[in-house]
Amino acid sequence: MSGTRIDFASTRPTEFVDITDRIRDEVRASGLRHGRVHLQSLHTTVGLAVNENEPLLHRDFEGLLERLAPAGAGYEHDDFSRRFDIALDEPVNGHAHCRQLLLTASATLLVEEGELVLGRWQSVFAVELDGPRPRQLAVQLDGDFHARRLLLPDSLVELELARQLMVDPEPVAAPMRRLVEAGGKRLRPKLVQLTSAIGPRHDPLRAAELAAAVELLHNATLVHDDYVDESTHRRGRPTVAAAEGPERAIAVGDYYFAKATRLIAEMGNPGVTSAVAEALEAICASQIDDVALRGAYPGDRESYLRVIRGKTASLFAAACASGAMLSEASPDVVGALRRYGDLLGTAFQMADDVVDFSPSSGKPVGLDIRQRVLSLPLIYAAEDRVLGEEVRKLLSGALGDAQVGRVTELVTASGALPRVRDEATRLVDAAVRELEAVELDGLRPVLAGIARSAVDRAS
Amino acid sequence: MSVQVLEPELDRLEALWSDGLGDAYRAYQRSVRHFASNVQPKLALAAALIEVGVRLQGLGGPAAAPTTLLIGDLCLARGSRLLADHAPVAVQVAFARAIESVSTAAASQQPAPATRQLLQQSLAAGR
Repeated sequence: MSGTRIDFASTRPTEFVDITDRIRDEVRASGLRHGRVHLQSLHTTVGLAVNENEPLLHRDFEGLLERLAPAGAGYEHDDFSRRFDIALDEPVNGHAHCRQLLLTASATLLVEEGELVLGRWQSVFAVELDGPRPRQLAVQLDGDFHARRLLLPDSLVELELARQLMVDPEPVAAPMRRLVEAGGKRLRPKLVQLTSAIGPRHDPLRAAELAAAVELLHNATLVHDDYVDESTHRRGRPTVAAAEGPERAIAVGDYYFAKATRLIAEMGNPGVTSAVAEALEAICASQIDDVALRGAYPGDRESYLRVIRGKTASLFAAACASGAMLSEASPDVVGALRRYGDLLGTAFQMADDVVDFSPSSGKPVGLDIRQRVLSLPLIYAAEDRVLGEEVRKLLSGALGDAQVGRVTELVTASGALPRVRDEATRLVDAAVRELEAVELDGLRPVLAGIARSAVDRAS
Repeated sequence: MSVQVLEPELDRLEALWSDGLGDAYRAYQRSVRHFASNVQPKLALAAALIEVGVRLQGLGGPAAAPTTLLIGDLCLARGSRLLADHAPVAVQVAFARAIESVSTAAASQQPAPATRQLLQQSLAAGR
């Protein structure tokens, strides 16, 4: 059994979002050979459907839903005077709930020979009934899995992280353990593990060691970042600086910076050591640029790209390249994966910027604005001919709740969010194209799936 | 050993040369004589950057201001990269262990070992 989530962002009130390729990617990533994919909507206003992907037909479906459950037809659910515990942003959406009853909240699809069993004209849709919003589907796969999947369990990295943290002195290990155990996407270690399976010398244990070291290094940079940004919380928990003071945060960051570089050096692969060391240097240099640019907040696109390529994309690129080098993949494969990681990391950061404006992200909306962190949606909104002047004026002054709220409204109204999302999607497309010219031992769909899911996310 | 050779490695950190980095570099020159002559300046600079980085961060004392911490981080990262590119694995490991021991002492509020002495011993791991 294997489980995951599919995130997507709808763009219209009613929309048929084709998720067929996303499910295919999940099937390939899981290594499922024969079995079933179970899908479940995690929302009461999103349904599922298997039908034809033909735009005029979708308009017919929309018309049918409108006739059966018209919007504004006077739903009791929309009478807020008779309901309790109503959220401030509770939508008027009785029609959407009723329409969802006409669809289904869950579906099961069959898998044979590693492929989804679908008829020639069949596609799988998540049907948005109350958009636009970030959405999520739960996915479980069961059946017979290909052996490759057994070679790449996430648990190996988690075990290695736990093992490393167990042997460290408690004053540094305890804060890092709390940060690591709080979760995180673990994208960098996943990229190390996957790319380490490409070359002829694949060793899952060594790959897990490298993946854990890269994750520790990433977390070490976060510990210092949180002090610099005066962040009080990360992954829902107090930051090391907030909980134990900046002195401890600096010591913890330094310890794991040193330990991670030592673990990598001890692996004895000079290419891997240099790749990660270069990335770390790029991260630190970009951090300085990032803070310097806050004086000219929100800055411009060119400066933004330079900073995020160093701050975020460099470690993605190093993770991809170092995994491949560890398994002695050919130089052209290493180069392609490095470029893939660079593009993916850049797209990932752009998607992260968009998430900052999403009420369903689990974080306070506008956190980046409060902390004056570089953000592409903000840059685009500030450049907007109509709204830009007000955005720039607000950002030049003190940023209380009211100002942050207004800036958030202006960013949304300016159309900057879909613009950034589109840009991130184009980068992901370019990342996937980098994989096409090299032999990746069947891992291309998995890496493509990771790239797409890094951008289509709500948190 | 000419400072000009090192200039590309001082990008963004030029101001530190007259603020202790140059002195630290000269102090480490004696500790790198057992390495090939072409890597001696790089390794002496790596050690000097790490020593200055630790000092700037305020490790073991009051925390540095955020912007100073970032400069300290860059010193550590650049020193580490120079070691990755030019030092034997034993030296890289010894340097990492030295930073681990200094930061553990700082986190435990124990007296920190002398950084320069630790780093000179680390360079000796290449003998």
